[in-house]
Amino acid sequence: MKVLAALSLLSLMALLALGVSGVFPRPAVPPAEDVAAEWGAKNVVATIVLGVRLWDTLFEILVYAMTMVGVKLGLRLLRWEHAIPPVRETPLLRRSADLLLGPIVVFALYVAVSGHLGPGGGFPAGAILGTALLLLALAKGVERLSAEIHEPSLEWAEYGAIVAILAVAGGLLLVGRRGSGYLIAANVLIALEVGIGAWVVLHRFASSRGEV
Amino acid sequence: MEGLAGVALAIVLAGLGFWHLIVRRNLIWKLLGLNVAASGAILFLVALAHRPGARPPIVGLGPGPSVDPLPHALVLTAIVIDFATLALALVYVIFLTEHRHTQDVDRLERDEERGWPQP
Repeated sequence: MKVLAALSLLSLMALLALGVSGVFPRPAVPPAEDVAAEWGAKNVVATIVLGVRLWDTLFEILVYAMTMVGVKLGLRLLRWEHAIPPVRETPLLRRSADLLLGPIVVFALYVAVSGHLGPGGGFPAGAILGTALLLLALAKGVERLSAEIHEPSLEWAEYGAIVAILAVAGGLLLVGRRGSGYLIAANVLIALEVGIGAWVVLHRFASSRGEV
Repeated sequence: MEGLAGVALAIVLAGLGFWHLIVRRNLIWKLLGLNVAASGAILFLVALAHRPGARPPIVGLGPGPSVDPLPHALVLTAIVIDFATLALALVYVIFLTEHRHTQDVDRLERDEERGWPQP
């Protein structure tokens, strides 16, 4: 079994290496600057993600949202018999969280808003927002943080962000007008969606921990 | 040569991840192997986009040709799908651990053949 697995893996690696070794000709890169200029952006990758491959990105966001729903529903079915001890608060982490939370959120906003001009975009901004929430959860404890956050409004914000992304993208597809305003709006909405989703996963996993 | 080294490292990473995915018996280790293999796939795509002496795919960042922007856009999908797969699979592992009290694949299969032990 192990020999068979090793042989198949080695053949797979050899196949990958053969594919990139230069035996097969690689196509020349077409000039992408014209596409970016048409959308009023400088970041070619953002133009491709939100413009040329818009359908792909939309379904990617739907896959992300379905994952959030799956994690939420799946872990809601579990019933833990043991009481979960609260996390002890450490002053060092608490002070650092107070100090760092504002800059991290501002940086996430900057990355989302300037995603069409430089490195960045909605998904990295959402990940940075999730990191800020993770820091806050580490400092204050997940239970206390989730008690402060109004859960239904968070859900409404999440689903509203999805609907808004679909509306913005659908409007773009209907109207056919291309511009940087659409890119900014889509990036900010995607950042909101990804950040809330990261918080949902973090909260569910952290609050359903327990002994086996 | 950065592109070549990146491709070699990506292939090694993917092989390592798949090796753990196949050989390990613990489900958590299997998921970690899957994640490492996904990292290898991401690095593979990014290294494929590399051209010698190219600049990042952002307009006005210097002279010379741009790297291929399409694999960079594909990487975004790869990262998100990887994260989604990992989160959902971990939920199922939590369920399995809660109901069957094991993460060992061999033990799960043995119990499946003999009938589940009644709690």
